[in-house]
Amino acid sequence: MKTFGFALVLIMVFTVVAYAHTPLMSCFDEGDGTVTCEGGFSDGSSASGVEFMVEQAGETVLKTRLNEFSEINFEKPQGDYKAIFNAGEGHVVTINGKDIF
Amino acid sequence: MKLVLASISLTLLLVASASAHFQMVYTPESALKQGGTIPLRMVFNHPFEDEHTMDMGKQHDSDVLSPVESFYVVNRGQKTDLLGSLKQISFKGNTNAAAAFAADYAARRMGDHLFVFQPAPYFEANEDAYIQQITKMMVNVAGMPTDWNSVLGLKAEIVPLTPPYAVWAGSTFSGIVMSEGEPVPFAEVEIEYLNHDVDVVANAMGSVKYGAPQDSFVTLSLIADANGTFTFGLPKAGWWGFAALEVGPDDEYKGKELSQDAVIWVQAKEMK
Repeated sequence: MKTFGFALVLIMVFTVVAYAHTPLMSCFDEGDGTVTCEGGFSDGSSASGVEFMVEQAGETVLKTRLNEFSEINFEKPQGDYKAIFNAGEGHVVTINGKDIF
Repeated sequence: MKLVLASISLTLLLVASASAHFQMVYTPESALKQGGTIPLRMVFNHPFEDEHTMDMGKQHDSDVLSPVESFYVVNRGQKTDLLGSLKQISFKGNTNAAAAFAADYAARRMGDHLFVFQPAPYFEANEDAYIQQITKMMVNVAGMPTDWNSVLGLKAEIVPLTPPYAVWAGSTFSGIVMSEGEPVPFAEVEIEYLNHDVDVVANAMGSVKYGAPQDSFVTLSLIADANGTFTFGLPKAGWWGFAALEVGPDDEYKGKELSQDAVIWVQAKEMK
């Protein structure tokens, strides 16, 4: 019973964390042929080490992790692309390249 | 007797009018989904009634307007001087035009961009005194909170307890009135609604939105508690200015009385 109670509390804690910390990403065109994306969470916590991807036509063309400053700089792909911040299930933020200025 | 009453009435009128001055640091949108370049307009006026726009930096002993003392932004703890980005403009209010300032700012990085604007003291001839309103306004990029509740240790400062860019109309805003990092007990705070659209292209104020049933509703007021803390409900969407009066340590300028005030701007949003 104690184990069940502990597990329930743990589940509730993780549920609260999941709802409370919304994943966030912002990208901007550096104007030098590169794009910088920054990640974070709504409580202000770091996104350092979170997975980041760039996709074109359903293909992953870049898969890496955000650096110690929760950001990544990459060469701007030709044509349509998507920048994806992947902090786990339900915590994915996608920005279309055409919305990055 | 009539003359005495007329004098008293005039004095009361001028005091009421003088107390409603607000240093605006305006931008159309304080909560940006993505970073971008934003327009800023610094205007000294009466935001609810817009009955008079003041020449910023006006002095009693010279026709030359005194320059802005400081203007900077803090993002993720990093301070950037913006004084060089200021351009003097003529801003057209509904009754007159006056000297004001404009700047463009590239709000690119995520998080809070906390602007601090400290104009030169303004000579208010009606009171034979100076007013200096040290003003904070902040813009958030992409929803990540960073600097909004920083205590900057300004001579006069309102430190928010609610992010000023994330307030629903009908909810509340809380803050602490401070001077040099210390709370100011029982500070007098005046509140005005920016009751006009601002045209940042024409540098002009639009027509009035709402009427006030009586003068008490033009400039609203409250007294902070013993810890300098206050909470105020915001009934309408738009920009609301909060001014804590005479809370700074400087009370004299060029031999005249100085009111060193703290101003903060809060933008409430309608639920749609």
